[in-house]
Amino acid sequence: MTTIIATPPHWPAILLPRTAAADPTDLDAAVRNHAFEGLRRSLRDGPTATIAVIAAARLRGRGGAGYPAADKWRIVAESASDTRYVVANGYGADPAVFGDRELLERNPYAVIEGAAIAALAVEASEIIIAVRAESTEAIRRLRACIAAAEDAGLLGHNILASGRTLNVVVRPVQGAYLLGEETILLKALENRRGQPEQRPPYPATNGLHGQPTLVQNVQTLATVPWIIVNGPEAFAKTGSKNAPGTILVHLRGPAGEGLAEVPLGTPLRQIIALAGTAADGRPIKALLIGGPSGGLLPAELLDTPYDFDALRAAGAHVGSGSIVVADDRACVVDLARLLTSWCSAQACGKTIPCRIGTRRLAEIGERIVTGTSRPADPGLLADLSADIVASALCDHERLTTLPLTTGMRYFRAELEDHILRSTCPAGVCHPIAVAAGPVN
Amino acid sequence: MNLIPGIGLVRGMSLTLRRFFQPKVTIRYPEVPSDVAVKFRGRLQLLYDENGSLKCETCFQCAQACPIECIDMGGMDTKGRFHVHWGAAETYGERREESALRRSGRPVPDPAYERFTPIDIAAVDSILEDFDHDPAQLLGILEATQAAFDYLPVGALMRISERTGTGYAQIYGTASFYDHLRLGALGAPASAPSAAPYLAALAAATGAGRQADA
Ligand SMILES: Cc1cc2nc3c(=O)[nH]c(=O)nc-3n(C[C@H](O)[C@H](O)[C@H](O)COP(=O)(O)O)c2cc1C
Ligand code: SF4
Ligand code: FES
Repeated sequence: MTTIIATPPHWPAILLPRTAAADPTDLDAAVRNHAFEGLRRSLRDGPTATIAVIAAARLRGRGGAGYPAADKWRIVAESASDTRYVVANGYGADPAVFGDRELLERNPYAVIEGAAIAALAVEASEIIIAVRAESTEAIRRLRACIAAAEDAGLLGHNILASGRTLNVVVRPVQGAYLLGEETILLKALENRRGQPEQRPPYPATNGLHGQPTLVQNVQTLATVPWIIVNGPEAFAKTGSKNAPGTILVHLRGPAGEGLAEVPLGTPLRQIIALAGTAADGRPIKALLIGGPSGGLLPAELLDTPYDFDALRAAGAHVGSGSIVVADDRACVVDLARLLTSWCSAQACGKTIPCRIGTRRLAEIGERIVTGTSRPADPGLLADLSADIVASALCDHERLTTLPLTTGMRYFRAELEDHILRSTCPAGVCHPIAVAAGPVN
Repeated sequence: MNLIPGIGLVRGMSLTLRRFFQPKVTIRYPEVPSDVAVKFRGRLQLLYDENGSLKCETCFQCAQACPIECIDMGGMDTKGRFHVHWGAAETYGERREESALRRSGRPVPDPAYERFTPIDIAAVDSILEDFDHDPAQLLGILEATQAAFDYLPVGALMRISERTGTGYAQIYGTASFYDHLRLGALGAPASAPSAAPYLAALAAATGAGRQADA
């Protein structure tokens, strides 16, 4: 299990309870802690009122992009159809981040109840919780919780004698990083090859089996019952102005790693101080924020608030909820090229920017660290990245450009040492060997 | 015929003059970019790289995308496995063995077509029976096939294609997308990229394991 980092007592604990439940699947204990109170209220108040509460709370998606949840709920609710689906995205694509898995293991009822409230609001009756197949414990607990809630009449046929039906299933999915992306996840749920779709139409109108589908990250859904019970005003007071609430952040650095529930808008400096991730007095050189396709930010930007808009403006993104701290012994250029080639290897192959663009990008990175780069490479890198961003089909290709472009933006001097002087200031790459080798 | 000399010229010029004031249809390409469909992702053309080898990686994307299934192809994929996809039968008047691959100009050894490892087709058929030959259950069919053979033999994929009516490109694409499905022979490591290089990059950047020599 991942270490949960203790946060200051005045920080809200919405997703992970401060005192862990002895058995998170125990329905009676959960109900004593107000589980399913939100479901009862939204059943009483009706869909329109529920969506209005979510809108007033300004809840934004925790899956990376930060899209306003209420807007998506409205679109799904207004799409004409007999069948609608709610898909809880608990895939947790980033293999170095365990936020979604820990949430599912430690607070499964919050996710289930949140999904149920969302399904009532958009008038869906089928809920699918997609979980990584390797997370066997999370899957076991979710299934136990669903069975207990069905026995108690909280899920299933005619819930709480209201005439509404809510069927919840857990679907283990496995096999690719890209499965986290919503249109690809829907393909996997349909047993098909995982490739993204041209949007629009969005899944909200044409999703699973062509029906309106609400795809929402599990952290987004787990926040919903709290909002309904405590009210949107209390929620809007937490986190930052444009993005209230909390989010799970996976911290990783020279001093170790751990998971923390952090109010959105907290300055990066305060977040990394939580884990003491800046090791033995060494200066922090760079932060990788957003996962494998994250942005590399310099130490000067440590006061940037951790929220969707501020990180975007700085060149990074919330992404998978990962913050990686590198001190002065790390080589930013080497890290950027390794990330780029990994992301390029994950690309699905559907489009030219994805199949060829990201590969050419990775090759430029490769040339830079091996001392075989060409004088035009920085320009080519900028041009190619701009073309990929402009022509990409899904966000994966767009984001794949981030490690190298933010590397170029903030660590220009280090990059030029590699390209022009064939040296690596951190002593990680060995670009000199080839450059100085005999010419034959 | 021409009573007035030069009338033909005047008639011709009047046409020129009329056209002159009509709206122009010429697009000043490339100064003015032309409109392209939102789905347009570039022209499909088989190119050769600087070493003279064909850049096509036999990924089947084009065959899968083509709405009239007029693209057929075969060749080695990037993992060194041989695959063939044939479009709909009615689009071909010629013998299929002599189609796209041969026309690409690359020498292809004939035995390539016989290199499929012989498999027990009955096992595939019984799996297909269990899944009702339903193409919508493709992932389940592939997982069951892998459970039976320990990997996905090309022969089994061909059978699944034939019996479910799904193009080979689609089946190969699905099988190669999922990391847990293996196209390699028995005991071969999973072909798809794993999380390991990413985790190693993070470990290198944070110095996990660096303490030892510090
Ligand atoms: C490459 C890629 C990977 C993604 N991985 C995940 C993931 O692991 N979990 C997730 O919830 N969303 C992931 N997303 C975002 C989803 O596409 C989608 O936006 C999200 O699930 C919507 O939920 P939200 O609005 O609650 O954030 C990913 C997106 C991309 C482009
Ligand atoms: S098979 Fe793939 S690489 Fe080859 S031409 Fe078609 S799309 Fe291009
Ligand atoms: S289209 Fe292939 S990864 Fe986005």
